[in-house]
Order: sequence, then C-alpha cells, then structure tokens
Amino acid sequence: MTAFRAILAMFCILAVCGVLLGAFGAQLKGDMPCPLCILQRMAMLLCVAGPAWLLARSWKREVDAIDYAQCYGASIIAALAGATMSGRQVLIHIAPGDPGYGEPMLGMHLYSWAFVVFATVILVSGLHMLALPRRTERLPFAGASRVVVGLAVAIAALNMVAVFFEEGFHAVLPDNPTEYRLLDDLGIHREAAPPAESETPTP
Amino acid sequence: MDTLIFLLIVLTFVAMWRGKHRAAGVLFVLALIAMLFLFRHHATDTLPISL
Repeated sequence: MTAFRAILAMFCILAVCGVLLGAFGAQLKGDMPCPLCILQRMAMLLCVAGPAWLLARSWKREVDAIDYAQCYGASIIAALAGATMSGRQVLIHIAPGDPGYGEPMLGMHLYSWAFVVFATVILVSGLHMLALPRRTERLPFAGASRVVVGLAVAIAALNMVAVFFEEGFHAVLPDNPTEYRLLDDLGIHREAAPPAESETPTP
Repeated sequence: MDTLIFLLIVLTFVAMWRGKHRAAGVLFVLALIAMLFLFRHHATDTLPISL
C-alpha cells in the first residue's frame, strides 16, 4: 500500500504535467493562451504542488497521515480555484453557436479539459484521503520521485518564461493576445499580425 | 503580474525541494491569493459578468 501511495502521487503529477505540456504544444503551434487559460495553468501547477510536496517531505523523513492531509488538502484548494476559473470560461462560451476560444482538442476546448482535470484532482485527492496510513512510513522510489518533481519544476519554469514573453513589461495580459509583447517592448519588430476579425471570440 | 505569480510557483517548488516546508507553505498561499486577485481583475474589470 505504501508503494501504491507513492506511485499514485507520482501519477498525479505526471498526468497534470501531461496536460500542461499539451497546452504548451498548442501554444507553440500558434494558439495563444488567453489570461484565463494562463490562470488555469497556474492552478494546475498548484494542484501538482500537493503531491510534489508530499514526495519532497518523504525524501528526508517518514511521512504520516498529517503530511498526506496537508498536501492533498492544498491540492484540493488549488483545484477548487482552478475549477472556478475554467467553469467561468466554459460559461462564457456556453451559448449555442459560440465558436469558443481557440481550437478544440480531442473534441473539447482546453478550458473544458481543464475543468475535467480539476474535478479529477479533487476526486483523486479525496480518494487518497480515504486510504491514509495509520502510522508513519517512508515512501519508496525516492530517485524516480525526484525526476518527476524535477519535471514539474521544469514545466513551471517553462511556463514562466513563456508568459514573460507574452506579457512583456505590462501589468496584465491583454484579453485577446495575438503576439508576444516582450518582443515589441524590446524593439524587436516582427511582421505585423493580421487585423483581428470583427467577431473575434473573447476568452 | 502573471510572470510574478509563476515565479512564486517556481519558488514554491524550489523551497519544497530544498526542504524549506514552512517557506513553501507561505509561497503557496501567496501564489494562490495573487492568482485569485488576478482572476477577480479579469472577471470583473475586463470581462464583466453579472451574477
């Protein structure tokens, strides 16, 4: 059961990291993320922080039920915030005939997938708390867990750099980002983006 | 502001990695609060909705 709990924590991190990498791939293909999409990425990374925190604690000492509750509790709080954001974006585009924001992936838009991810994080965290250990335990696979947590850190850093390019030296992102504003801020002019259509979907 | 929140998240992970769990908890809460403030800005100021 101890090994199962360690594997489940690593699986949670890898699953959310996979979604984040998919969203990043869509960005590289030209689908610029809107402010709400960026907020949902932040919430996903904070969801990942829960199991990552548990694994990091287990590297130095044995963990107990309090450690599990604190770490998965943090994940649930972050998932609730993220579900609020993605739910709001789903509601913006829920009217019939609305094309939505961005290109759909596997039949749903990214913000709809984000809502599914946050609901799944809450469900899995709740299930994990049903099987809390009764005594302290040292989680196995310390080497593998370091690789998995390192991947999460790398994805967080990658997103930070990408958002810096998109935001530039401005306080917030524009509602409908069409270019990387840092390049304009630094005076690196690129070919002008085509003018926005009259019915550009709002994020 | 988005970049700073991501920086907070990265620092949260780094603090966890280095075993600074109290600092990681503080950074986690700061990132969450900043994220909610930014959401409030986008939800009320730039894309208004009524409930």
